[in-house]
Amino acid sequence: MADQTRREFLKLGLAAAASAVTASAIEIPLFNNQNSSMQTKLDNANSQLNNANSQLSSANTQISNLKARVNTVVGFVSLSVTEQSLLEKIVETIIPTDTDPGAKEAGAIYFIDRALAGDYGQSANMFMDGPHVLPRIPASTTNTLSVNPTLSWANLPGNSSAPITYTGGSIGTPGVGAGITSSPRVGSGINYQYPLNFREFWRVGLVALQAYANSAYGGNFETLSSANQLLLLQDLWGNKPTSFSNILPSDFAYELTFMTWAGFLMDPIYGGNQNMVGWTFTGFNGVNFGNFYGEGQDQKALMVATAPTRLKPASLAQYQQQASGGT
Amino acid sequence: MPTTITEPAADVVILGVGYMSGVIAAELSIASLNGGKNYKVVAITKGPYWDYVNDFSTTKYDEWGVGLGRKYDSPLPLQSATIRNTPYQFALPVRRYTMPIQYHALGHGVGGAAQHYGGTMGRQGPWGYTQYSSTIARYGASFLDTVNPHSDLEDWPLTYAQYEPYYVEWEKAHGLCGDYNGSATNQPSDTGYPWMSQNYPLPPSPLTPVGQSFQTAAQALGYHPFPHVSALASQPYINQYGVPVNPCVYDGYCGGPCDYACETGAKANAAYRTIPAAMKSGNFTLVVNSFIFRLDTDPISGLVTAARYYDPQGNVHVQPGTVFFNGMWGYNMIRVMLLSGIGAPYVWNSSPASVTGSVGRGLTNGYLPYRGTNVSGTLPNNGGNAYPAGNGSGGSVDIYDLMDDNFDHSVSALAGDPPFIGGAEIGAGGYPGGGPGNITFAGGVSSASMGGTFKTTQKDKYLPTKTTLSSTPLAHDLPTTDNYIDLDPHYTDIYGDPLSRLTYDWTPNTYNGATHLVKKVKDIFTQMGAQNVTIGSTVAPGAAHNDWWGHHLRGGCRIGANQSTSVWNKWNQCWSPVSKPVFNIFGAGEITNTSGDNVPSGTHVAGPQSYRAAEGIKQYLALLTPGLLT
Repeated sequence: MADQTRREFLKLGLAAAASAVTASAIEIPLFNNQNSSMQTKLDNANSQLNNANSQLSSANTQISNLKARVNTVVGFVSLSVTEQSLLEKIVETIIPTDTDPGAKEAGAIYFIDRALAGDYGQSANMFMDGPHVLPRIPASTTNTLSVNPTLSWANLPGNSSAPITYTGGSIGTPGVGAGITSSPRVGSGINYQYPLNFREFWRVGLVALQAYANSAYGGNFETLSSANQLLLLQDLWGNKPTSFSNILPSDFAYELTFMTWAGFLMDPIYGGNQNMVGWTFTGFNGVNFGNFYGEGQDQKALMVATAPTRLKPASLAQYQQQASGGT
Repeated sequence: MPTTITEPAADVVILGVGYMSGVIAAELSIASLNGGKNYKVVAITKGPYWDYVNDFSTTKYDEWGVGLGRKYDSPLPLQSATIRNTPYQFALPVRRYTMPIQYHALGHGVGGAAQHYGGTMGRQGPWGYTQYSSTIARYGASFLDTVNPHSDLEDWPLTYAQYEPYYVEWEKAHGLCGDYNGSATNQPSDTGYPWMSQNYPLPPSPLTPVGQSFQTAAQALGYHPFPHVSALASQPYINQYGVPVNPCVYDGYCGGPCDYACETGAKANAAYRTIPAAMKSGNFTLVVNSFIFRLDTDPISGLVTAARYYDPQGNVHVQPGTVFFNGMWGYNMIRVMLLSGIGAPYVWNSSPASVTGSVGRGLTNGYLPYRGTNVSGTLPNNGGNAYPAGNGSGGSVDIYDLMDDNFDHSVSALAGDPPFIGGAEIGAGGYPGGGPGNITFAGGVSSASMGGTFKTTQKDKYLPTKTTLSSTPLAHDLPTTDNYIDLDPHYTDIYGDPLSRLTYDWTPNTYNGATHLVKKVKDIFTQMGAQNVTIGSTVAPGAAHNDWWGHHLRGGCRIGANQSTSVWNKWNQCWSPVSKPVFNIFGAGEITNTSGDNVPSGTHVAGPQSYRAAEGIKQYLALLTPGLLT
């Protein structure tokens, strides 16, 4: 019995190592303290086992929890202590816990923390060059815009280096609208025109949100009633705050909501959706195509079925583990 | 210290390696097998070579990295594009990839954008090739001016019948799945449907329950349903070049907003259909991770002498050649020509009579994503495991009856609806699959999606007990003189060259068509037994949609019969500028000026052109005195 459990441990350790290798091969950033915190947990569980054979059944439970959370993380790598306590309440407002798990149980804040420390926070896949021209909110009928051309454009035949003036307007009626697209919809392709990477944007946004909580609701966000917390986030969506550190409040609300969703629904390898609670809640089966746990279902048959079959979800880490010959 | 390296000259230099370039690479490098000359072919792409087994087999399921992070798409820090709605506006750059997609995630590497599409394919009907003259003949010139102010619509240089043999080659090369096109007779004399001299090489994938329901309902209403034409192989296949193809495994991570890659190679892509044939020929060189920034031209003849590109270390390479094929993605195809001074650049003027040039002219949109009219309903007793199971485009059913000129567009026949020409392919039943990235996120993040609402709308969402039907007819977007591509004066790529600037707004024809077609879709949904069938609100042209962008913009470098308004002639050979054509560069791609909008991308219409262009290039290389082909 004890031997069997030790074998489980060995496998678990190997699995963690194997998934780390696979993950780096596909350029998914893993953090040193992720491995070390996992290792700490493993060590704790190990000593528990060695010390008390009588508690074998509870230790077994712990092992299976650890196994499920092999790629989940605790501890923060990016968010400050102040940001942690604020953001914790924000994500819990966006996806609350009721009879089913919410952002809290999913560890959505860990997902966001990791993302902010990685490519997302650094805006690594974004076009960040200037000039940074912010949209006019609200749309003005008098705005014109005069901007110098780049040298490389000016040097092309037929062009000059004189500033170009944009009057706005529609076909047939030039010069009556804003010189730029005036009110881009939140989340649209031209929406994010700030000279800030996302880590900076979140830093600025969280400070502005807290200031608004105090000025409009009389206290820090964390101290507000849950009804007011939701109201405040809706204020941001509606651009109600008149001063918000030069960013559009709805842009920040979009990002908060988007990333909380992602922390609830993306693969656990990124730190959120812990124990796949988001997938269990939505009934999404991840990479279980019908036979991951030996259910014997066929993908083609599932495609044409008219009644749903609930499958236990499987994660990328499990998939990679299985693909590399583990169980 | 970066240096300049001159490469050995080639007969054919291919710019960009996507669908069209793959055909040119295969056809020219193995020309000798068909009794022709043995050509040296070099193809250059800015991205890597993706191996579907090693690159996609597990990572394709990584929705955060691939679906939302767009790991396999063209990196925006390398280059972006700027967009605006009118020529009077300052254009803002696209800074990020969004969900739902607001800007086309450009392809990157061998295979181009095909690696992340859903595999929707098919043919453009005969009307698409003659829609200008057909419209004038049936409804009069003033009708066209009414439905499409500042119209820049033209006929194609060739007819459907002339392109038909090229369609056959294209379909064989890529292993397309389908079963004719809804025509009971399938005769060359048919006008409403693209008749076929031979059927698609592979049968369609099994129909989904929704597809079956649509089929029955459409038949009952007198329409002619047929299986959606898909580029996702339904069976193992070997194409005319001897390249083997694996079938689809229906794991449902395919198309839709997340644009998953395919891990079996079932999704047609130059990298796994045509490029392997070129590779095997011994006459072909593939240059990856190399960014083409200029085409050198001869100061006297004006002809292209070499392609100039940066390697990843920043060294400049000069690749001389006899003939060049521009197979770059739509915006880049135009950009490199404008940067290099090739062809007559399009110059906009508020008066349509005063516009000049052709390079950048005629930008159109193949999509109305999440805007315009929309019809929805729910189909009871029809739920199931839509996700993840299915594939990107197979399993659904379409009709051609409501597109092109297959119904009467005269004012009296439209029963009070605003006038338009063309229409849309209507269909239902595709299960693009995927996970939360495709389903939950594509639904849109909004203030209404927080708190308890999120919980109630998402609980067991992936185990539907009824199917939600939704359709936004694509309608028919016509070229006008006000929609075009030029070089942006204010933003540059990573190497300092101006970005493409896209000036585009939807045209009244597009809106009007959608307004009419949703009613027809509503009838079909009702016939299917759907409940709560409703039509969404209409967005008027010129209203506040200036932030939303179709991610299937196309055109801007069109083929035509008029030398002063098109870039490519009937052999897909450059014949611009009129005064001194740069005739040693050919092109195909998203250059479809006047296509019928039966699918959102222009690939299906461009495909046959690549075979036409291959024929043109062979003829050109055989000329004793180089010049324009006739």
